[in-house]
Amino acid sequence: MSQVLHPIEKKIIKSLMESESSTPEKLVESTKLSIDQVRRGMEWLKLKGLAEVKEIEKITLKLGKNGLDAKNNGLPERKLVNNIQGEPKSFAEVQNLLKSDFNAAIANAKKNDWIQIEKGENSTKISLKGIALQSPEEKLIDFFGIDEKMLNDIEDTEALASLKKRPDFISQNITKLKTISLSEKAKNIDFEVSSEAIDVEAKVPQTHAARIHPLKETINEIREIFVSLGFSEVSGNLAQPSFWNFDALFTPQDHPAREMQDTFYIKDIKAGKFASSQQIRSVSRSHKLGWGYDWNISEAQRMALRTHTTCVTIKHLADYKPDEARIFSLGRVFRNEKVSYKHLAEFNQVEGVVIGNNVTLRDLMGLQEEFYRRIGLTKIKFWPTFFPYTEPSLQSMVYNDRLGKWIELFGMGIFRPEVTKPLGISKPVLAWGGGIERIAMLKYGIDDVREFYNNNLNWLRSATKCQ
Amino acid sequence: MPVVQLYLNRLQKLVGKKSNKNKILSKIPFLGLDIEEQTNEYLRVEYSPNRPDYATDFGIALGLQGLFGIKTGMPKLSIKKGNYNLRVDSSVKKVRPYITSIIAKNGTLDDETIRQLITLQEDLHFGIGRRRKKASIGIHDLEKIEFPIKYTTVSKNHKFIPLDSSQEIPLSEILEKTEVGKEYGSILNNSPKVPIILDAKENTISFPPIINSALTTVSSNTSNLLIEVTATDKNAAEDSLAVVAITLQAAGFQLRSVKISGANNSSPLLKPRKIILNSDLVNNILGLNLSTTMIASSLRKSRIDATAKKNKIICIIPRYRFDIFGTMDLVEEVALGYGIENLKSTLPPSISVGEKNDITKAIDSLSLIMIGLGYTEVVNSSLVSNQIQNELTNRSNSDVIQVVESKSLEHTILRDAIIPGILENLSKNIHEQYPQKLFETGIVFSKGNPIQEDSHLAGISAHNDANFSEIKSILQSLLKIGFNIDSETKTSSHPIFSEGKTANILVNEKIVGILGEIDSKVIGNFKIREEVKVVGFEIKLSGLIFD
Repeated sequence: MSQVLHPIEKKIIKSLMESESSTPEKLVESTKLSIDQVRRGMEWLKLKGLAEVKEIEKITLKLGKNGLDAKNNGLPERKLVNNIQGEPKSFAEVQNLLKSDFNAAIANAKKNDWIQIEKGENSTKISLKGIALQSPEEKLIDFFGIDEKMLNDIEDTEALASLKKRPDFISQNITKLKTISLSEKAKNIDFEVSSEAIDVEAKVPQTHAARIHPLKETINEIREIFVSLGFSEVSGNLAQPSFWNFDALFTPQDHPAREMQDTFYIKDIKAGKFASSQQIRSVSRSHKLGWGYDWNISEAQRMALRTHTTCVTIKHLADYKPDEARIFSLGRVFRNEKVSYKHLAEFNQVEGVVIGNNVTLRDLMGLQEEFYRRIGLTKIKFWPTFFPYTEPSLQSMVYNDRLGKWIELFGMGIFRPEVTKPLGISKPVLAWGGGIERIAMLKYGIDDVREFYNNNLNWLRSATKCQ
Repeated sequence: MPVVQLYLNRLQKLVGKKSNKNKILSKIPFLGLDIEEQTNEYLRVEYSPNRPDYATDFGIALGLQGLFGIKTGMPKLSIKKGNYNLRVDSSVKKVRPYITSIIAKNGTLDDETIRQLITLQEDLHFGIGRRRKKASIGIHDLEKIEFPIKYTTVSKNHKFIPLDSSQEIPLSEILEKTEVGKEYGSILNNSPKVPIILDAKENTISFPPIINSALTTVSSNTSNLLIEVTATDKNAAEDSLAVVAITLQAAGFQLRSVKISGANNSSPLLKPRKIILNSDLVNNILGLNLSTTMIASSLRKSRIDATAKKNKIICIIPRYRFDIFGTMDLVEEVALGYGIENLKSTLPPSISVGEKNDITKAIDSLSLIMIGLGYTEVVNSSLVSNQIQNELTNRSNSDVIQVVESKSLEHTILRDAIIPGILENLSKNIHEQYPQKLFETGIVFSKGNPIQEDSHLAGISAHNDANFSEIKSILQSLLKIGFNIDSETKTSSHPIFSEGKTANILVNEKIVGILGEIDSKVIGNFKIREEVKVVGFEIKLSGLIFD
């Protein structure tokens, strides 16, 4: 029979040929392999039918805290006997002496037939019956001493059972022991004849490649797609004055979305100069006109963690006023939400913007479809929806085969004139974007968005794409 | 986003004979409604907060009738003159100056209709009413009310039996002890006199914006209603009233006017608005070439009156559509009436060349080197907990940047360094195979004008033999290979790192980061096993590699 063996297996077999049966620990010594290698080798040999691996339980016992105390100071019943050695004593006297050991002492002394109890008129007397010979329990305690004993070495199992019933007298330790011996098949292998060939079928330990985080991989992929579609990246701060996050986007100052329960505001910090006075004046006027209230600058100065990347794109457009451009911004955004399998307090968002003379809603749909096509999503449809700063607004629905349903992905729309006009932006602006984690979830087949931020190494080392 | 439950049988009856359930199901998303849940009997749909008229199936039926072409154009309010008077006392000016009202007669209310009206009312309170501050609505059983009624103010000793109660309670107690009182009482700004609506017999009808009286409670036996809206903003009041009026009319009620006078208040007209739409705007924005008649008919399908006149379309917008600000909103209405499903996408050619920004490029290349050096990337939040960021790392940072009222204890402060998060990652992975070599790039925050944001990179190596030289070598290779930067290290101290095994990272004699062996106490705090040594570094990239 030709059998290719791994060097590890050869070493183990060689050692087993010298001693009939062995343990992993002994094999480590005799083969100079590591414990991991020995365990692996044993597993391979077992699978190949070359070795028999048995698991046995090894039970060892030793005296516990109270057992050790009894070894040094005697069992309660011995203390009792010592006490009434000279003359019988009353129940009360003995009880006083032995305290909590009293009940155990009486019961066991009676069992050993060491004492007799006489009920008198006034008190009950306890007296010695004869010579109190060493009891089986005492013998066993002596046998233990301070050592650990194998269960098999203990002959008087009755005494052991009795000591085990007493709290903390015996402590027991069970260890599982693997033994290995060669099978008949292995005994017939001739090592001298075996070639230098290696076992090409043997399992190998897993190698962990250092890698980019799966979420980052998706982010990078999305960024590349935007660049390839002609978009240039703009960036901005995560902490933004409310002005750019809300006011510039025509969100009225008393709008529920601006309340603390949805937005993270930063404690005790207000923005200094956050926009040109022209920008501030015209945004203020647009709110007064559109919503009919007196706009308050101090509300616009409150610093918030941006709730969308739109604050970055709108500021870029307002500051540079390009006639034609494709820009995008990508990064962290924040919502003061309870974290759950579908909501995070902090996540990534991307937003693309096209500004130009002749851009249309149909172009926006086309860009969207092209974007999805490039990340591998082909079944797409569009539904109307509402966003406070775009008009018209659409949302894209994408069919996911694994989930078997349509899911909502990016939203899109054309910036409202109430947003663009006050900021001096005269051309139509198409905008579209959304959360990146949702796309990463589709790619990695993940149903709990928190997974990305758990940084479980096992997952980071093994995560693979499914789409 | 608010949600409404729609019973399909009921909805189909409302839409009309020419519809069927499947058609309704397929059209609902094209009203801008998201189907959340669907059974054979009912649907739960999410509607936009700017369309409170979709809070009931009556309103949704009006929309569907338009899309199906069963009924198109504006649903007109038919308000007959009623013999009902409401007088406003000038004392309300200081606390809640406006009231508006309408009567709805001869209708029927079943439990489902009542449930939906309550939802509508709450939705209006929340949205346009700004949590009742701007406007709040009361719906009452007309039969219990003796006209004329008056809107005035009273002292807080005034007593009445509020809704869901059986005994008279003084207003002061309602404000202090009831849930609605505590929630909405602040709207009245501690005014000594508070608004009240009384009828001719001095019975209290409502204590706006807090609670109605038990007397006028609406039940499924009620067929005549009084609707009143009190407000700090007259427009918001009439907008809200318009939504309730159109809904009740669609539910089969006949509307009657209420004559309101006194203290700058007047009877609501609820008149539609006229906006003139240019067909070029529609076609330019949608990328279509629609005739004015086609545009007008699309608008009518969106339940807006529209007539084509040369290249213009004259649009009449019902009062309840206060979500329409101007012509761009009408462009969207054209798209909806035309059918989003009929819009074919086009891909415009790009006139620009795309580019990543410099920060992204630099971080990408550093990340690649870290991976080449055997480090796996992690991502952590930048909004973190003080416990992980400061307590477990033995730091006391007096300059933490906090957020207000976070819903989660794990997200209360902005991070000032990346290393604590990576130590937390090690802590969660003590059962995974070592060595564990991790890195992260990201934003950290500090106070300054008003908040300084810098990009950092941190790397951590954890295994039994990890040591200072190892991590110093990694850091120096990273900067050298990535950006040809020579760096050196000089003894320093830092609470996260071990005394004597800590160094500042210097480039051109400027400190750009810190490097060293993590202190054993910190390792213990993160419950990392004793025999594991942890070394790490963190550098500030802003100012070193990019501006």
